[in-house]
Formats: sequence, C-alpha cells, structure tokens
Amino acid sequence: MDNKQKIDSLLKHKVSWLEDSGPDDDIAISSRIRLARNIKGTPFPIAASPDQLNNTRGAIQMAVEKSNCLGASALCFEMEKLSRWERELLLERRLVSSEFIARDGGAALIVKRNESAGIMINEEDHIRMQALSPGFQLDEVWKIISRIDASLEKHLPFAYDSKLGYLTSCPTNVGTGMRASVMLHLPGLVLSSQINAAIQGISKLGLAVRGIFGEGSDNQGNLFQVSNQSTLGESEQQIIERLGGVIKQLISHEKNARLTLIEKNQYFLLDHVGRSYGILRHAYVLSSEEALNSLSGIRIGVDMGMFSTVDLHTVNELFLTIHPAHLQKFAGKELSAEERDIFRASMVRDRLKKFKNT
Amino acid sequence: MLCDSCKKNDATIHIQEIINGQKKTIHLCGECAAKKSGDNPAMEIGGFNIAEMLYNLTEKLNIPGFQQALQQGGIAPAQEKPLVCPACNWTTEGLRNTGRLGCPECYNTFRDILEAALENMHRGKLHVGKKPGSDSSDESPRLMLELMNYQKELEELIQREEYEKAAKVRDMINELKKKIKK
Ligand SMILES: [Zn+2]
Ligand SMILES: [Zn+2]
Repeated sequence: MDNKQKIDSLLKHKVSWLEDSGPDDDIAISSRIRLARNIKGTPFPIAASPDQLNNTRGAIQMAVEKSNCLGASALCFEMEKLSRWERELLLERRLVSSEFIARDGGAALIVKRNESAGIMINEEDHIRMQALSPGFQLDEVWKIISRIDASLEKHLPFAYDSKLGYLTSCPTNVGTGMRASVMLHLPGLVLSSQINAAIQGISKLGLAVRGIFGEGSDNQGNLFQVSNQSTLGESEQQIIERLGGVIKQLISHEKNARLTLIEKNQYFLLDHVGRSYGILRHAYVLSSEEALNSLSGIRIGVDMGMFSTVDLHTVNELFLTIHPAHLQKFAGKELSAEERDIFRASMVRDRLKKFKNT
Repeated sequence: MLCDSCKKNDATIHIQEIINGQKKTIHLCGECAAKKSGDNPAMEIGGFNIAEMLYNLTEKLNIPGFQQALQQGGIAPAQEKPLVCPACNWTTEGLRNTGRLGCPECYNTFRDILEAALENMHRGKLHVGKKPGSDSSDESPRLMLELMNYQKELEELIQREEYEKAAKVRDMINELKKKIKK
C-alpha cells in the first residue's frame, strides 16, 4: 500500500474515539494516555546521528511487528515519505504531535487501523505510544496502553533506572513517562464566565489545562484538555486517580452551569444554539474559528435534546474534518485560505442537512 | 512580536486568558515570564499560574521552565564546571540550551544538576510506578540490544573505511535480524 492508499484507508475506517459512545461523552469527548519509552544504551533522538535514528526505527518497527501489539492491519507511515499536507492530516487526527511532523528521517508512525492506539517512533523519545478512547474512561485506556507497553517490552530493552524509573529525553517526563489527558467540551463554564476560576483551581492542583485548537492555549470551540504534569513520585494509578477526580468535578460543574443557564438564562442559551445552527447551516464562507465556535454551540443543543436528530458523532467528526488538511483531502487538491473557507462552509451545510431544529 | 513586559526581547510565551468570554493574549519573553513567576510563585496571569504554564511548555518548547527549575535548584551558571557525558558527548550547555538530555547515561552524568530540578518539576524524587516486567527469561530484548550494538559498530567501521570487517559485521546483523524475526 502506498501512503495515499494508507491515508484513504484511515479516512474510510470508523474512528473509534469519535464515533463510538463512551462514558460521559456529552461532556468528555475522549481520554488519552501517552507513554514515553527509550532504548537502553542508545542516544535519544536529539543526540542521535541519522544512521542511529534509522537503526532505532528499524528495531522498533521489528518489535511492533513481532509483538503484534497494534494488530495485523496496523499502518506504518515513515515521515520522510509524506508530503506536508499528509503530515498535517495525521496531526489533525491527533495521531502525532506538531513536534513530530517537523521531523524527517528516522521518524515514523505506526497506528492501529481504527486509530485507537499508535506509536510515534523517534519523536522526542524513541517511543511515544498512545491509546485514545471515546468519553471519560482513563482506567480502560490505561489497561490498553499498559498491555501494548508490556508486549513491546518483551522485544525491546527499555532504559530504566530503579530510582528514576523510565528514562526520557526531557526530565519533565522521567519516571512513569506518562501523560494522561481528557478532552472536555465546556461551553457551560465558558458562557457563564466560570471557566477562569475552574482553570485557576485546576492549575493549583498541579494539572495542566490547555485549549485543543489554535495556537498555544487558545480555546476555539470551548474544547479543553486537562492532563497531569508530574510523572515522578506517584504511580500511574495514583496519577490517573488524581486526574480523574478533578475531571469528575469539572464534569459536574459543567452540568450545573448548563442547568443554571437553562433555568435563569433560557433565551440566551437558545439564542446561542440557534445562531450557531444558523451560521453552520447557511454560511457560504466559514473560517475554522467560526466553525469551531458554532459547532460548540450546536453540540450543547444536541446534548440538551434541542435537535430532533440526536447525532453527537456528526458534530465530533466535524470538529476534526473542518481543518485544512482534511478539507484539501476531500477537495482532492490544494486550496488557498479563501477557497478553504468556501469549501468548509459547503461541506458543513451538507453534513448538517439531516439536523432539524425543534 | 515583542515582549509585553520589557518590550525588548522577542515574546516566546503566549498566555491566553479568558475573561467573560473575551479572549486576550499576553506575550512574554522567557526571561520576563520566569522573573514574574520567580518573584512571586503564587502570581497568576489570567488564571494561569505562570510557573505551571512554563512547566507545561517544557513539554513542547522546553527551556524556560526547565532552566528556571535549574536555577531554583541553586545552580548558578558561573560556578558550574562543564560536564560531558562519556556515553553520548552531551554537555551541560546542551542540557541548558535544550532542556533535554542526550542519552539514558546522561542521568548519571548530570545527576547533581538534575536532582534539585527534578524535585521542583515533580511531586516526588523516586519512581514508584510500573517496572519493566520480571519476565527476563525472554531473550528478545537482549538480541535487540546486540543488534543495536552491531549496527553502531558497522557505522564506525564504514567511517574508518574498514570494509572487510564491515562486511562481516553486516553478515552478523543479518543473522541476528533473522533470529529476532523468527
Ligand atoms: Zn521581556
Ligand atoms: Zn549521554
């Protein structure tokens, strides 16, 4: 299979974290855990020669294949063979990091066909494996990633120190090498101006909050990612429990905020949802920021049963496919920024035809 | 873009704040951001604790948070004697500039510098999580390590233009690969 066929195959296949249902998925879109691992006695990517990068990649590819940890239908993408837009597409699908797609020789992604798990080879560390599931279910995700880790370990000698745990290129990841995160849709907290206080509270607990889309901590679409910061001194279970506790609270705050909006500010909320729907259903030029914010608007409407055809998954899918690399893939050609805004509007209008506002 | 605080350096840290649904971005250079949070660890801008943000960024862009942690650990650049990792040639300067280490052995090489910094970054000093399995009867990881060593040797032999030896090592590599794939 060439790269184009592999990408087509990803697009054709059902994406588990977007299209399956999960616990609390009205608010929690997805749960993800990443583990960093490195190979004993081998320089980290930052200090490795091109030959070393290739050798490491070869060894890891062999181990992944032999352990069958991502299934027989897993797809492998070698970065140097991908165009800029193909790399961007993998980034938009949350399979790789932006640091990763800037790399060239020696970097590769191996991903399970339904995109529920994948391994970045030679990102900042030799191995960054991730598991991604719909809704709020960190315990389940931990089981999945832990199994992949265990089967790789049977084939690769990981760099490990009894005091410091798994050794990583950046000392901020040493120990468990684990970054657990949950993606949350928090329009209730944003609309009721409580998000600031919530973020403040979370960062005081040593957890990180950042916007999903846009640069830095920009929060287009009211989507936030909450993750652990510390990786040393606590076990994986302790980290997951602490993070999970905070997520639970955030979910219940969000629910309260929505209820309060319905009770005290019903017309404000209806107007917000209705205008969002109006824009997505009738716009002919749609920027990605406007699209994300309007999608957020109809997502609350869907959550609250304001649309007769309840289809959270269409909204989730649009959160992904309105981004430039996906638009160009669907258009089958490169588009200028203006052309993208027009194409985006037409795609969204089309996808939302089946929604009826009640 | 210039730093909002000193208006001299380029801003490298962008902190987004949301007040009443309005977004506003503060742009700071690494120095000013570190100074702001260093002066007053409790200080927060727009709800984000800066120190937290910095640590957060160390993940992606690295440096300021890590350097700050190094400095908080009492390591003044002047009194520090430069170290070089015997395994990968990574230096104190490399560590300082990138916030990254060069190889697993670097954790020993730079142990003294790292100790205090790690304490600032994390909730503890000792790993208490998952360990590699005790299933050491499996010989596959050992073969893989052997393979990596032969590959390193091959690279060096080719550089020294010792092609005869290189050919032998290449054969051994192929043998090993077969054995691993079995
Ligand atoms: Zn400044
Ligand atoms: Zn080293």
